[in-house]
Amino acid sequence: MTVEAPVFEEAPPQVEPARGPMDWARKNLFNNWYNSLLTVALAALVVWVLVALVRGLLSAEYEIIRANLRLFMIGEFPADQLWRPWAATYCFAVIFGVVGGSIAAGARDRASEAGLPYVRTTLRQIVIRFWPILALIAVILSFTSTVTPTLLTIGALVVGLGSYYLGRVLPRAVRRWTWLIAVVLIAASYISLAGFGGVGWQGWGGLQLNLFLTFAGLLVAFPFGLLLAMGRRSSLPVIRTISVGYIELVRGVPLITVLIAGAFAIGFIIPRDVRPGFVTRMLIAIIAFEAAYIAEVVRGGLQAVPRGQVEAAQAVGLAPWKTMRLIVLPQALRATIPAMVGQFISLFKDTTLVAVLGITELLEATFVVNSQTAYLGKGLFVVTLSFAALIFWVGCYTMSRESRRLERKLGVGER
Amino acid sequence: MTVTDYSDATRATGDAIIELVAVDKFFGNFQALKDINMRVGQQEVVVVIGPSGGGKSTLIRCINRLEKHDAGRLVVDGIELSDDVRNIQEVRRETGMVFQQFNLFPHLTVLDNVTLAPRQVRKLPKKDAEALAMQTLTRVKIPEQARKYPGQLSGGQQQRVAIARALAMQPKVMLFDEPTSALDPEMIKEVLDVMVELGRGGMTMVVVTHEMGFARAVANRVVFMAEGEIVEVGTPEHFFTDPQEVRTKLFLSQIL
Repeated sequence: MTVEAPVFEEAPPQVEPARGPMDWARKNLFNNWYNSLLTVALAALVVWVLVALVRGLLSAEYEIIRANLRLFMIGEFPADQLWRPWAATYCFAVIFGVVGGSIAAGARDRASEAGLPYVRTTLRQIVIRFWPILALIAVILSFTSTVTPTLLTIGALVVGLGSYYLGRVLPRAVRRWTWLIAVVLIAASYISLAGFGGVGWQGWGGLQLNLFLTFAGLLVAFPFGLLLAMGRRSSLPVIRTISVGYIELVRGVPLITVLIAGAFAIGFIIPRDVRPGFVTRMLIAIIAFEAAYIAEVVRGGLQAVPRGQVEAAQAVGLAPWKTMRLIVLPQALRATIPAMVGQFISLFKDTTLVAVLGITELLEATFVVNSQTAYLGKGLFVVTLSFAALIFWVGCYTMSRESRRLERKLGVGER
Repeated sequence: MTVTDYSDATRATGDAIIELVAVDKFFGNFQALKDINMRVGQQEVVVVIGPSGGGKSTLIRCINRLEKHDAGRLVVDGIELSDDVRNIQEVRRETGMVFQQFNLFPHLTVLDNVTLAPRQVRKLPKKDAEALAMQTLTRVKIPEQARKYPGQLSGGQQQRVAIARALAMQPKVMLFDEPTSALDPEMIKEVLDVMVELGRGGMTMVVVTHEMGFARAVANRVVFMAEGEIVEVGTPEHFFTDPQEVRTKLFLSQIL
C-alpha cells in the first residue's frame, strides 16, 4: 500500500487585481442581490440629500446674515468705532506671522545644526494647510455689503504673510524676543479695542467674545493648572489633598453649573461694591473650570517623563526646582500639547454656554436675530445656526489638523 | 614594595574616599542591603558583581543618595550622608553617575546635556562650560556629535555622552550602574574602552557590571554581592582563579 501525497487539483484562489471602477463596483457594490439593493437605495438617499442641500443653499434667505454680520462677528460694537476691531485684526495678523516665521526659522536652524534635513515651507503649503480658514473668510466676506471689509481682509492677509517672512529672516538675537513682540502686540490690540473711548471686553459680543473667552480663559488657567498638577504630585499631604479635592470637585460638575454659580452664587457672597462685573464673573468661572482640566492634562504629561530623567538630574546635583523647570516640565509640556489643543477646541465650543446667561456671543446672536421684526416667524434659524456651525466647525477642524501635525512633528528629531 | 591585602572589603588601597559602615536598606519588608561594610580608596576601581536582585544597584544608588539608606554610616569625600539636603547636594556634586538606560535629556542637544550641570550647579559661564564640555566629549571620542540630539545617536554614543555629562562636573568618584547592559554587543567595546581609559587615568570608580574583561583589565578589587550581602572580596586574579565561597563559584560558573 502506498501513501499518496495529497494533490491539489486547483491552484489556490488568487485575488484578482481590480481593473477599473466598473470592475471594482461590480465586485464590491453589486456582488449579490441584497448588496445591489442596498447600493441603489443608499445612492438614492445620497442624491436626495445633496439635491435638498444645494436647493436649500441656493434658495435660502441670506439677508438675515448679511444684515447682522457685524453682530455675529463683534456683537454690538459701535458702528463708528469699526476701525478698532480692524486694528486689532492687523495686530494679530502680525503676531501670527512673526511667531510662525520665527518658529520656522528656529526649526530650520536646529535642523541644520543637528544635520537633519529641513524642507522650507512654501506659500502653496501654507494655503493647503489653512484652506478651511481661508474658505471660511471667503464665505464671510461674501456676506458683506461694501468692498471695504474685503480690501481690509486682503490687507491683513498680506501683512500676516509679510510678517511671516520677516519672522523667518530675523537675526537670532532678535528672534529670542519674539514672545515680547507678541505680548506687546496683544496689549496693543486690546488697547486699540478698549482704550481711549473704546469698548472694554465686558461689552464685547459675537465671535469676538467667544475667541476672547477661549484665549483668555486658557491662558490664565494654565499657570493655575500647572500648580494644581504639581500640587497633586506633592509629597506634602495638605497640598496634595487640596489639589486633588479641587480637581475632582470641579471635574465632577458640568461647566454650566460653574457658570451659574459664578453668575449668581458668587454674587451673593462678595459684597456689591467689590463684586466683579457679570461677564468678568463668567470669565473667572471658566478659568476656575479649565484650571482643573489643564491640571489633569499636565499630570498626564508629568507622568510621561521617565523616572530616570529625574534621577539623572539629581545625580549631577541639580536642585529639585531646577530639575522641575529644566528637565521635567519642558518634556512634560511638550507631551501635553496635543491634549492641550483638545482642551482648546472643547473650550471654544463651550464658550457658547454663556448664552444661557444672556450674553450675546455668537450662538446667542444667531438666536436673537430671528426675533427681529423683519425675520420674525420666517423660520430662518436653520440659516443662522448653519452659519454659526460653519464658523465653529472650521475653527475646531483647523485646530485638530494642527494638533495632528504637531503630534507627528513631536516624534521627530528631539526624542 | 608592600603587598596590599585586598581580601577585606573594609580595607582600601589608600585614603578612603567612600566609606560604608554597617549600612542597611529596606524596601518595605525586603532587606536589600544587609550590614554592608566597604571602603573605596582614592583612585581605586572597584567592580561589583553578583546575581540580579543581589543589591548591587541599590548599593551604588545609596552612595549618591538616589536611595536613602536606613541604618549605618555612609561617608563620601568626608561628607556624611544624612537628611541634610546641603550634604546630599555636596555629595552629588562630587560623584558622577552613569545609568544602564543612559537617561540623557532628550529635549537638549548633546552639548546642552553636558553643559547643563556645570552651568546650573557650578555656575560656570556659558563659554567656559562649553569649552569644558567639548574637552570631555573629546575624552569620550565624540566631539563631532555635540550639536545633535540624543535620539540621533546610537546606544554606545549615547552612553559615552552620559559619561561625558558626568565627567563635566569634574567628580572625584564615578559610579556606573550596569553601563553596558542595555547596549547591543557591537557597541559595548566603545563604552568599555572609555571606561578603561578613565580607570587607568586615575579616576575612582565603582562599577556594577557583568563585563569580566573589564574587571580583569582595570579593577583593583572585585566585590561579589548576593542577597544583599557582600559575600566575597578579592583581586580579579584571586576571583577568577581561586574563589572561596560556594555562591561565588556557582555564580562564576554560570557567567564565565
